[in-house]
Amino acid sequence: MIESRGVPAVAIGLVRPHLEATRAPRSLFVPFQLGRPLGEPGDAAFQRRVLLHALGLLERTDGPVILEDFAEDAPNERDTPGWRPPFALPAPPSADLPAALAAEIAHLRPWWDSAQARFGRTTVGLCGLPPEAWPGYAGPFLDGDVPEAPSAFSPALTLRYLADDLKAFCMEAVQAEGPAASSRQVNAWFWGGTAAGRMLLALRGVAQASEEKGLQTIARFLVPVPWLPADHQ
Amino acid sequence: MARIDDIPEPTRSAVLGLPCPPFADQPFLSGPPLARRRVAIISSAALHPRGTPPFPAGTPEVRMLPADLPAASLLMSHISINFDRTGFQRDINTAYPTDRLRELAAEGVIGGVAETHYAVMGSTDPRTMAATADQIAGQLRQERIDAVLLTPV
Repeated sequence: MIESRGVPAVAIGLVRPHLEATRAPRSLFVPFQLGRPLGEPGDAAFQRRVLLHALGLLERTDGPVILEDFAEDAPNERDTPGWRPPFALPAPPSADLPAALAAEIAHLRPWWDSAQARFGRTTVGLCGLPPEAWPGYAGPFLDGDVPEAPSAFSPALTLRYLADDLKAFCMEAVQAEGPAASSRQVNAWFWGGTAAGRMLLALRGVAQASEEKGLQTIARFLVPVPWLPADHQ
Repeated sequence: MARIDDIPEPTRSAVLGLPCPPFADQPFLSGPPLARRRVAIISSAALHPRGTPPFPAGTPEVRMLPADLPAASLLMSHISINFDRTGFQRDINTAYPTDRLRELAAEGVIGGVAETHYAVMGSTDPRTMAATADQIAGQLRQERIDAVLLTPV
């Protein structure tokens, strides 16, 4: 699309069949997981090799279609042996999910602060509410209520963005210290044992069963299918 | 390793089922050596400045991102929950390699970095995005950009 408008372009692609089908002028297939076109977080030398390979295709003249494969795998896609979260989760104070979530957020808050210092930023910030307000906003949905949204978004969309923020908050917190865990390890921790994960699973069920169209729509965007418990699939 | 067989179902089937029509034409443009080219990024990660609205689902719009926007000022609102976010959480360059481009420019490997990068919502049907492509191309020409790096997530 861009090259046909007069500007040379090169794509770094994560799905080789897509690159084969579209026959773009220059593509570099990288064998990394979806979401990581440069491959390795925190490894400037690795990212640089990916980038130089891709940009180098711009100097080639043997078109009209160049598709190359990047030869290296990203090391961090393998599980880190012995990785453990840097903290233990608090024991849930009760079966009350919003209360358990509130306790967990309070427990993780200093770790999230540390993660921001470590990584220089946070990716939390979509829903417009601070973490301490999330249990109070999400909780009423479990009882079939639809609370008023605090922003210009609809209540359902606010809940969807809150889910994204909640995942980011917890996953950043658990990466605050120590060696880099693989994505699989971070997700296994989140979906396997946190009140946040249980909360999102419960909200998914409520949204699926809701007669409110907005909630029905966002139900699919709360829990990735690979991490659904067998009895929820 | 994360080739197509490593993507868990049902994401794998969904990814493979996406329509990928070949381009109607097959342009192949040449240009000056890399050391004289100015490079812009087009990301499909639905990146937008903190404090601006997230990308709506299915939108064909583009957000123009000042290249000097600090990493802490960017959020990701891609609708898909089926790709990794943990790498992006640790390091923005995993998906949006602005620091790496600046380093290559400082070393003279590339001629420079564009003033503007671009973000779109990757799940949007590309057949609805012709006007967006025109808009991006117009800005690229205005900034005299002669190399684009596409980084889909």
